[in-house]
Amino acid sequence: MKPVVVKLIVVCGLNLLTGCAGPEPVAPWERGYLADPAMQWQRSAREAKFAGHVYTSKEASSGGSGAAGGGCGCN
Amino acid sequence: MSGHTRTGIDSPLVRSISATLSALPAYQSALADAPPAYTEVGIRHSYYTEDSLDASAVTFGSRSRYDIDVTQLWIEAPVGGSWSVALDVQNDAMSGASPWFVGVGLDGEPGVVMSGASIKDNRVEVGVTTRYFWADGNAGLAISHSDEDDYRALSFAFDASWNSDDNARTWTASASRSNDTVTPVKERIPVFIDEESLQTQSLYFGVSQILSRTQIVRIGLSYTMSEGYLTDPYKFADHRPEDHDRWTLSSGYRQFYSALDGALQVDYRLYSDSWGTDSHTLEVGWHQNLGRHVLAPYLRYYTQSEADFFSPIADREADYYADDYRLSSYGALTAGLRWTVQLGDWQIETQAERYQSDGEWGLFSGEEAPALVDFWRATVGLTWRFD
Repeated sequence: MKPVVVKLIVVCGLNLLTGCAGPEPVAPWERGYLADPAMQWQRSAREAKFAGHVYTSKEASSGGSGAAGGGCGCN
Repeated sequence: MSGHTRTGIDSPLVRSISATLSALPAYQSALADAPPAYTEVGIRHSYYTEDSLDASAVTFGSRSRYDIDVTQLWIEAPVGGSWSVALDVQNDAMSGASPWFVGVGLDGEPGVVMSGASIKDNRVEVGVTTRYFWADGNAGLAISHSDEDDYRALSFAFDASWNSDDNARTWTASASRSNDTVTPVKERIPVFIDEESLQTQSLYFGVSQILSRTQIVRIGLSYTMSEGYLTDPYKFADHRPEDHDRWTLSSGYRQFYSALDGALQVDYRLYSDSWGTDSHTLEVGWHQNLGRHVLAPYLRYYTQSEADFFSPIADREADYYADDYRLSSYGALTAGLRWTVQLGDWQIETQAERYQSDGEWGLFSGEEAPALVDFWRATVGLTWRFD
C-alpha cells in the first residue's frame, strides 16, 4: 500500500510544482469561497498547537505542519 | 514537541483577508500579506483525561493514568503598517501515573507496572512571534520557552511565505531549532541520570495551489533531526539511540460546496523515521456554516509500525530497547466535534474529542503493547477582537 500512496502523492506534488495539472485560472473577484473560514488549513491556530502537542506526546510520529517547536517531558 | 503555531481561523489576520479579497493568495488559509486589522485577545481551557487501564493489563500499581488541565492565553496585534506581534502563554497542570515498565503478569502475558499515582507536574510555555508583511508574502520569527519540573526547552523558528505573480500559488519554507534540557525528578521512581541535553533542528518546505473557485490543495516535505538524550528517564526498560531522523510528506485538500455553505477538509501525512517507524495519518472533516454558528465534525485515523528496538517486554541485553507503548504497532481512531459562535466582537468556541487505539486497528504487523492509550479531551474558549 505504501508505495502506491507515495507514488500518488509524488505525482500530485510534481504536477503542482510544474503546473502540469493545469488548474483553472481564478480571477481575484472569484475567490470569495476560497476566503471562507471553512477553507482554512487549520481549525484554529491554538487548537492546532494543542492538538499537535497531544498527538505528538502519545504517538511516535511528529511534524508535517511546518517548523517544529520546543520539546516537553510529556509521558 | 509542540507544533509550530500559525495564524488560523479565529485570528484577526483572517479578517484582513476578507477585507482584501482581491489580493487573495493561495495560502489565504494561513496568513495574509497585510498585518492584522484588529487586536485579538483570547483564552482557552482544555481538559485531557486518559482512560484507566484494564485490570488485566496491570501487574502492579494504579490503573489510573494522566489528567491534564491546559490553559492558553494570547494577544495578537498589528504594529505599524507592516508588522504584527503575538504573545502566547500556556500552562499545563498534569497529574496521574504512567507505565514504568512491562513485565510478565500472573497469567503469563505482558503486564504493566505503573509509576504510582502521585506524580504532579506543571509546565509553563511562553512564546513571542513577530511577523513582517510585504506585498507578495510575509516572514515570521518565533521564540518560545517551556519550563517544567524536569524539562526545559528553548526554541527558535523562522518561516517565510511568498506568492506567485497571479496569487494562485504560495511557497512556504520554515526552519527551527530547539535546545532542551532533561533534569528528572528523583523522588518519583528510580532514575539514573542527573541532567542530559537534546538538540532538535527542523526544516519544512511546502506549496499550496488554487485549483478552482472552490478548490485548494497543498503539499509539503519536512525533515527533523534530533541529537542527544532521547531515552525516557522515567521508564525502567528504555534505552534509545542518541540520533533520531524524521521525514514527513504531508498534503491537504479543501473543497467548498456553495449549495451547502460548507466545505470538505482532507489531510494526509506520511511519516518515516530512522528508528524504523512508518506511519499514515488521514483526517477528514466537514465545516458547516450556519449563520453566526459553525459546526465542524472530524474523523482521524492513525496507524504506525513499531520501532526496531521495541518489544512488549524489553530485551535489556540489546544495544537499544524499549517497551514504551508509543513505539509499538497499532491503529487509532479519533472523532471530534467543534462548535463556534460569533457574537459581535466576541467568539465562543467549544470542542470535544475521543481518541481510541488498538493493536488490531493498525495496518502494520507487530506485537500489541498492553498499555495503549485512550483519552477524552474537551475545550472551551473565548476570543475578543477590537480596533
